[in-house]
Amino acid sequence: MSMDVISSIVLAAVRMAVPLLLIAMAELWSERAGMVNIGLEGLAAVGALAGFMLTFYTGNTWAGILAGAVAGILVNLIYAYATVSLCANHTVYGMAINLLAPALASFIYRVSFGTGGGLNQIELMKGVAIPVLKDIPFLGDLLFNQTPMVYLAFALVLFTNIYFRKTKSGLNFKSVGEHPKAAATLGINVIGIKYLSCVICGALAGIGGAYLTTCYSTTYTEGIVSGRGFIALAAVIFGRWNGTGVMGACLFFGLCDALQIRLQVSSLGVPYQFFQMIPYLATVVVLAIIGSKKAGPKANGLPYRKEER
Amino acid sequence: MEELMRMEHISKRFGNFYANKDVNLTVYRGEVLTLLGENGAGKSTLMNILIGLYQPTEGKIYLNGKEERIDSPGQAVKLGIGMVHQHFMLVEAQTVFDNIILGDKRSKGIFINRAARRKEILELSERYGLDVELDAKITEISVGAQQRVEILKALYHGAELLILDEPTAALTDIEVEGLFAIMNKLKSEGKSVIFISHKMREVLHISDRITILRAGEVITTVNCSETDGQKLANLMIGRELTKSQYEKKEVSGEPVVKLEDVRYNETNKHNGLAGVSMEIRPGEIVGIAGVDGNGQTQLAQLITGVIGPEKGHVHLAGSKVSTFDPFDFIESGVAHVPEDRNLQGLIGDMSIADNLVLKSTETDQFSHGKGLFLKKKDINSYAEELVQKYDIRCTSIDQAVRSLSGGNQQKVILAREIESEPDLLVVVHPTRGLDIGATRFVHDQMIAARERGVGILLISADFDEVLEMSDRILVIFEGQFMGEFSGKNPPIQEISLAMTGK
Amino acid sequence: MEKLKKSLTSFLVPVLSVLLAFLIGAIIMVALGANPGKAMASLFKGAFGTTAAIGTTLNKATPLIFTALCACFAYKCGVYNLGGEGQFLFGATMGFVVVHCLKLTGIVGIIVCILVGAIAGGIWGMIPGILKITRGLNEMIISIMLNYVATLFMGVIYTSWIRDTNMPQTPAVDTSLMLSKVIPSMRFTWSFILAVVVGLVMYYCLYWTSSGFKLRAVGLNMTASRFNGFPVKRYILLSFIISGAIAGMGGAADLLGTQYRLINGYGNGYGFDGVAMALIGQLHPIATVIVAIFFAALRVGSTSMQVATGVPTSVSDIIQALVIVFSVAGLALTKLPEFEALRLRLFHKNAKEGK
Repeated sequence: MSMDVISSIVLAAVRMAVPLLLIAMAELWSERAGMVNIGLEGLAAVGALAGFMLTFYTGNTWAGILAGAVAGILVNLIYAYATVSLCANHTVYGMAINLLAPALASFIYRVSFGTGGGLNQIELMKGVAIPVLKDIPFLGDLLFNQTPMVYLAFALVLFTNIYFRKTKSGLNFKSVGEHPKAAATLGINVIGIKYLSCVICGALAGIGGAYLTTCYSTTYTEGIVSGRGFIALAAVIFGRWNGTGVMGACLFFGLCDALQIRLQVSSLGVPYQFFQMIPYLATVVVLAIIGSKKAGPKANGLPYRKEER
Repeated sequence: MEELMRMEHISKRFGNFYANKDVNLTVYRGEVLTLLGENGAGKSTLMNILIGLYQPTEGKIYLNGKEERIDSPGQAVKLGIGMVHQHFMLVEAQTVFDNIILGDKRSKGIFINRAARRKEILELSERYGLDVELDAKITEISVGAQQRVEILKALYHGAELLILDEPTAALTDIEVEGLFAIMNKLKSEGKSVIFISHKMREVLHISDRITILRAGEVITTVNCSETDGQKLANLMIGRELTKSQYEKKEVSGEPVVKLEDVRYNETNKHNGLAGVSMEIRPGEIVGIAGVDGNGQTQLAQLITGVIGPEKGHVHLAGSKVSTFDPFDFIESGVAHVPEDRNLQGLIGDMSIADNLVLKSTETDQFSHGKGLFLKKKDINSYAEELVQKYDIRCTSIDQAVRSLSGGNQQKVILAREIESEPDLLVVVHPTRGLDIGATRFVHDQMIAARERGVGILLISADFDEVLEMSDRILVIFEGQFMGEFSGKNPPIQEISLAMTGK
Repeated sequence: MEKLKKSLTSFLVPVLSVLLAFLIGAIIMVALGANPGKAMASLFKGAFGTTAAIGTTLNKATPLIFTALCACFAYKCGVYNLGGEGQFLFGATMGFVVVHCLKLTGIVGIIVCILVGAIAGGIWGMIPGILKITRGLNEMIISIMLNYVATLFMGVIYTSWIRDTNMPQTPAVDTSLMLSKVIPSMRFTWSFILAVVVGLVMYYCLYWTSSGFKLRAVGLNMTASRFNGFPVKRYILLSFIISGAIAGMGGAADLLGTQYRLINGYGNGYGFDGVAMALIGQLHPIATVIVAIFFAALRVGSTSMQVATGVPTSVSDIIQALVIVFSVAGLALTKLPEFEALRLRLFHKNAKEGK
């Protein structure tokens, strides 16, 4: 394979990884406070629609990204209320969100744009080339000629790492997912942090969805998230609940995706669906190899009640 | 002496039940005050009020003479009250350092200033002789070290009053000595300690004053120098240790179960067995006396097949057991009233009737064709019958067992296990949290089973219960038996000494 | 009495959820400028108005019943099988491939197809089960990943291996394999009857046999089940296999009942819909069947609603989603101790006033 091919595969891998990374970071923040949210797929779907619509009407992709975040937060607050305040089962309620959010999105889309009809498209977010650096051979295009969202996504990883490792508030946040009672005895507002984590999760998953429409695909279609919400869950496990690890996992899945597209084009004869299976099978194989016993925040997915008895 | 904290007329009611009633408690600066009382005497509730987890139904709390409302744990921390819980409140996946500074409100800034915090912590640790490894993870350090972390954490958050809830329960003798040294150091630095324990020897050794709680009320407060163990025990229990009303028996016959040098998780003093041999014969009650967490849990689970030994043998009805599976043990006539009735004994969301026939749905009595079609009518009438016989107070047999009171839940388990007509009955903490009437009922049922020739293993942290019920008493300490005593006129002093490992 | 009270709560919550969801649906309709009364009427007429409509509704309900029962069975044993869709499609695909390649026809073909479907679905369900009990893996993620794999595998069949002419779809199954209508004047086929029978058998197994009793016990409290001598891991694996087999059988049956060929988009969303219906049906097989029929009615009726009043069909999707959102939250609410206290207080007060 020539350098060009490799470079284009890596470039594609990074592009594929970014929406996944945003959604996986959403889950990371959620689970750090003990909130297992499997409704990411739905959150990303409303984010994608909100991002598309706002961009369509304002012509500003940043407005779209912001709308994605707001939509994600609003929907995830339903999840937050049910699981934190009503102590509903996280998994079950995540499923409910996965049903509600896409239904809502496609309803709004149909009401706004009608069924059938022409394809509605928006202009994608422009890349920002970083002067000088972009001219580095091979790496230049890959690293320094992307949309701002790509830089932001990776900056988010950095921020997450610093927040959880270096700040007091990050330490408090983590303790809520590990041992909420211990956190409470030290005066940490457990319920508040759980809600906060849901707001952050909704925002990031919504942005991840908005990225798909504003930076990736130019239009909104049903099922645009296509399982990224679920692969993101696996990425968090694979990445060991750690920003850098999750980033690595997302790049790996992005690479699988990029490879399968490349293979689809190049190898005739073999049905392309076999290549499309690669990211999903990779998820299963990776998880099976690393196992998932005794990992992650200790109180992950458990309800928290203030006064027992 | 200067008063640090005073509780006045504190009451706490749960429903119709008073966990604390009109409690007055004073702690002076630089003293160790012991709270002494049996399980359920209201010590934990009182302390939970002090640290803001519960709100008192009535009463006031004064700190340094000023009335304070402690409406949250955060508020308690702010007021200089720190508690070391019996089950440590430590985040296991994090380092000692992170645990200590968790929830820090004293230092300014967004980032953790590690160097400065480290210096502060090390100063504290030196001053009080609290030796800890700051960069180790909690999982990597010993229980004793974890406790020091907890104390250091409380001091770091500015505790003037430190509550230690049964701090010695999980410690070795040497670690206990270390803890006492720390407590003395705390005293000399003007800090006050509330010490919760029921180990008489330790209480007498370390306390300045002792407050005795019984059934939620303060009985009296005495100076340590003016009392002795016997007096305290009498005050705590409220009567002289009564002679058992049940007749004690000596039986011979083939043992229903026999353990030979059984070892499990040997290196762990609190959750292991280090070479245990014993036997239980038909028609006797063998009581295991000992402080909680000396291998009792493992002993019970081993004899019921939940876990298997790493070394040694178990014989059931004369034949050696090769596979350890609860199913095989049940088939061989072993019944089990487990330690945690909700987690291990009952399916909380199923009905009383379902729980009563839990193990026997395949029998001809309750189904056609070995489980192919349940005879619900028969199950229901059987359940009605047992509800009568075992005096299970419920609105209907269709009620979920979760909604029953603890005593009635225990009766459901007891009914199921005794009615299975076992050869061996293993009962663990059978009357924990039960009122007097229910306790009496459970005891009577056990004696009746014994009269029918059932061999019974009784494991209980309630020393009185062991003395009252057992035909033979074995004392367990750190996974080993410290001695065997007859249940007839048992030598109480000797047994309580053996329970502390002497 | 106690039983009655309990079933009253568990009945009231979904009913209130449905009413609330419809109320919001009506508000949306008003916002869209439609007459909600008229829209709802056309919705119900479209679903149940004529014998033909009822038949269509029941046919539409058939695959949903299977996937809902699939989810229900796994949940009963305390595990989350979110792979109903993959198991359904893998069953349909393998059933199709076997009868197509072996050129089976008639009753033999029907039986083989459905059996193969059940086995294939069982195998597809077994994978997350094995990974869970041996590697401790999260069964939800694995089963979802396998959904995508199964969908893509079906794609391989209809785009490459057994492709019919130019369209990306397979040829239809032999006409002798197509299940006939139960009542000639109504459209629904024997696959619906099979679905209902599976529901009834499941009800019998779960509530009237010892194994079902134990399976439910495992689902409610694994520790106590182990202490009481039940083989917990075996039940978990078994529940995955059976749950997958139900979905796979459904795939094959639906293929022969109404679908006839593999085609792009087949089965899309059936798995998660099934989970939702099982939850609204509170994991009771018979209630689940009824909920599935109700959901199918909403779907069938929404088309008539769109034609008659211009309210888009996706309003009915929202109503369906809201039903699950409300009912799950409502059930969680009734389990809160505060709610229990409130109920007792009200009950107490009533009792006092009664005196």
